[in-house]
Amino acid sequence: MSLWVDKHRPKDLMKLDYHKDQAVRLKSLVQQSDFPHLLVYGPSGAGKKTRIMCLLRELYGSGSERLRQETMHFTTPSNKKIEIMTVSSNYHIEVNPTDVGIHDRVVIMDLVKNVAQTHQIDSAGQREFKVVILNEVDDLTKDAQHALRRTMEKYVSTCRLILIANSISRVITAIRSRCLTIRVPAPTETEIASVLHAVCKKEGLSLPSELAMRIAKSADRNLRRALLMCEACKVQHYPFTSDQKVPEPDWQIFIRDTAAMILSEQSPKKLAEVRQKLYELIIHGVPPDVIFAGLLKELVCNCDMSMKCKIASYAAQYEHRMRLGNKSIFHIEAFVAKFMAIYKKFLEEALGDVF
Amino acid sequence: MLRPSKGKKWFKPVFDLDDNLPAKKIALDSPKVKSQDDVKNLQFASNTNIFNNVRDSNWMKNFDPVNIEDLAVNNKKVLELEEWMKNTCLKSNNNILLLSGPVGCGKTASIQTLASKYNIKITEWITPLDIEYPSEYGEYEFKEPQTKKFLEFIINSANYTSLVDNNSCKLVLVEDFPNIFMRTPAEFTEVLTQYKQRAKSPIVFICSESHTDTKNTSFNLFSSSLKEQFQIHHIMFNAVTLTGLKAALKRASAIMNSKFSSTYNNPTNEIIDSVVNSSGGDVRSAILNLHFACLKGSTCNLETSIIKEKESKSKTTTRRKKNVSNKFMTLGKDQTVSILHGVGRVLNPKETVTENGHKTLTHNPKDIIEQFLSHPSSFVNFLHENYLPHFSGTYDVDEAATALSDADCMLAEWREQICQEYGLYTAVSGLMLANKSPVPAWNPVRGPKNMKVIYPTLQELSLLDPNVLYKGKTLVTDYSTYHKIISS
Repeated sequence: MSLWVDKHRPKDLMKLDYHKDQAVRLKSLVQQSDFPHLLVYGPSGAGKKTRIMCLLRELYGSGSERLRQETMHFTTPSNKKIEIMTVSSNYHIEVNPTDVGIHDRVVIMDLVKNVAQTHQIDSAGQREFKVVILNEVDDLTKDAQHALRRTMEKYVSTCRLILIANSISRVITAIRSRCLTIRVPAPTETEIASVLHAVCKKEGLSLPSELAMRIAKSADRNLRRALLMCEACKVQHYPFTSDQKVPEPDWQIFIRDTAAMILSEQSPKKLAEVRQKLYELIIHGVPPDVIFAGLLKELVCNCDMSMKCKIASYAAQYEHRMRLGNKSIFHIEAFVAKFMAIYKKFLEEALGDVF
Repeated sequence: MLRPSKGKKWFKPVFDLDDNLPAKKIALDSPKVKSQDDVKNLQFASNTNIFNNVRDSNWMKNFDPVNIEDLAVNNKKVLELEEWMKNTCLKSNNNILLLSGPVGCGKTASIQTLASKYNIKITEWITPLDIEYPSEYGEYEFKEPQTKKFLEFIINSANYTSLVDNNSCKLVLVEDFPNIFMRTPAEFTEVLTQYKQRAKSPIVFICSESHTDTKNTSFNLFSSSLKEQFQIHHIMFNAVTLTGLKAALKRASAIMNSKFSSTYNNPTNEIIDSVVNSSGGDVRSAILNLHFACLKGSTCNLETSIIKEKESKSKTTTRRKKNVSNKFMTLGKDQTVSILHGVGRVLNPKETVTENGHKTLTHNPKDIIEQFLSHPSSFVNFLHENYLPHFSGTYDVDEAATALSDADCMLAEWREQICQEYGLYTAVSGLMLANKSPVPAWNPVRGPKNMKVIYPTLQELSLLDPNVLYKGKTLVTDYSTYHKIISS
């Protein structure tokens, strides 16, 4: 039994549910003999990976779907042994270079070199290049990105890179200009609802359209999350009712609790408690930018318009700094402290007016 | 001295007496009889200028301890060492002893003094150069591996008695470890096994401890399992205490007075105090500093610097004790502050009011950052972990947190050295200035939290397709919650 998300993933470019215009263009791109490096970007759960897998199938046929998992070993210049998980078929290899942290440069250089130096055996029937898929390119270190730029040029004849990113603002311009950038926007709520209906139909279930809309709304335009929510709903309560509870991600609840703590009391002692909560979120792998967004959303609910502006601008400032810095906790904490200061001042002034 | 001919290799170590001989003479004879070197020193000194004496390579030996009472080491440690020596050397066991401690705490001196007391002959290994000179025909000799040389040396010197020496007890001393053991500790185990089987005398290893673990031989080479396997006795020396140092310096100044009055000025108590304070428990450097401070001819220079320092300090500091410890600025080691101490200074900023009503911080932020320039980010992490309990006002915390956030941005720029300094400065002075009403309570200092992210594994999420590469982030944000519900 596999999850609906994986089970009902479209395998053909022509069977995609939305952005059909783009799919046609991708198909015609593949049918041409030449094919540049690609940089596919868009928010999480928009269908980037689905499109890329469809593209590979279009390129190489069903052979690209026979996947196997492999652990590769690399040695850094400082003689540290690192290993990384890869998934590959005969025609492509996929890897998350950010899994190895600051050693991502070694992985990129060695992996691309290895792939590029081995030629396809039966070049007659197939394309003469292999494909390397790199995930989370925007989280690569600058060092690795520059290494990527050089390898891209060097091995262009035998290997094509497909880079996946959430936002290209953190990808260096040199890479952006060497790739064909393809944006995959998040699906709209109606698009998500229609996908949910289609999946439920395949599963032989009937889904009330109100529930589909509610799931689509709470999924934050993330199709993956919407499908998971829908399946979870089915497990919790079937037959569906239009007013049944849609389970939220647990980290979202956790962030909401944290925001409530911040609003309840503004003192250094409370900040210390909030910090423990933040540590917990970060250690469990919730991305810091998601924490920032979640906190901001919850905190501004209790503010008037002028304060909302102020707080949002501070949040933007600290989030930007977090991108520049190393330790995300410093900046989230600074934002919380800033909010506490502003909110406390506001409360004190409000109290002063009463008397 | 007595260098053997090159061909007879096994013979060499036994005769290698170079430096030990003169030292032994002082030790064996009563203190009043001077060794050749000393006589030479005196003649030079009394004859002409002081410079000859300074250049003499052996002048440090003048101050070597003669009796056990002269040692600046803690009495109990000396007793422990003496016990071991009595038990093993005199009974000719082949036990192994490991002596460790910070530099200049008297490890070698203790061994040598005790050895001379019990008439034990010490043979020390000194790692030879690997490069050998070509023979007459321009060919290079076959080089023996370092391990083999080392093993041969220690076993030969443990088993064979020197011809010029009629002592019966022997002791092998290793202070200078061949580099090969740092790379392959397994070979060291092999050497020790061989030694245990074949040798008839005890062996002593001396390791200087440094603050960083990576360079710590006693930790890297002598693992606890190794110590158990060979029943190595481990004696740890601490840095010399202030009283111990003072006693040692008094003794040195007495020697100065009695023997070298032409070379040295009589050290005043003040000079001795400042030498003690600036040496940080290191006898060797203390003696060096004393030598430098008391040299005739250079005194006027030093004295002015001392007085100047005193004047400037007495304005700002309230406590007299601190004055003395800071006095020696041109000599000795830097005054070191531990990281916890530094954190305390930043988080409990103390203010002093000067005569004209200005408020200044007791500990200048600039002085604090100078101590931690070599590892700015770890210091800032310490500050971040500990600053909250010291703050009482919400507005103050806001300022402090912003300062830390600024500092982190600057520290992230590792390509510019100056950015590291600015980052540290921003964090330190930001925290010190923001804290307008510090909480007086004592708070334990905690180490920075390990922020390694732990993503859920595929084993935990059994429903996922094993042949798809999932991203850690999406596993956390999307899959983990719903996987729990769906699989239940």
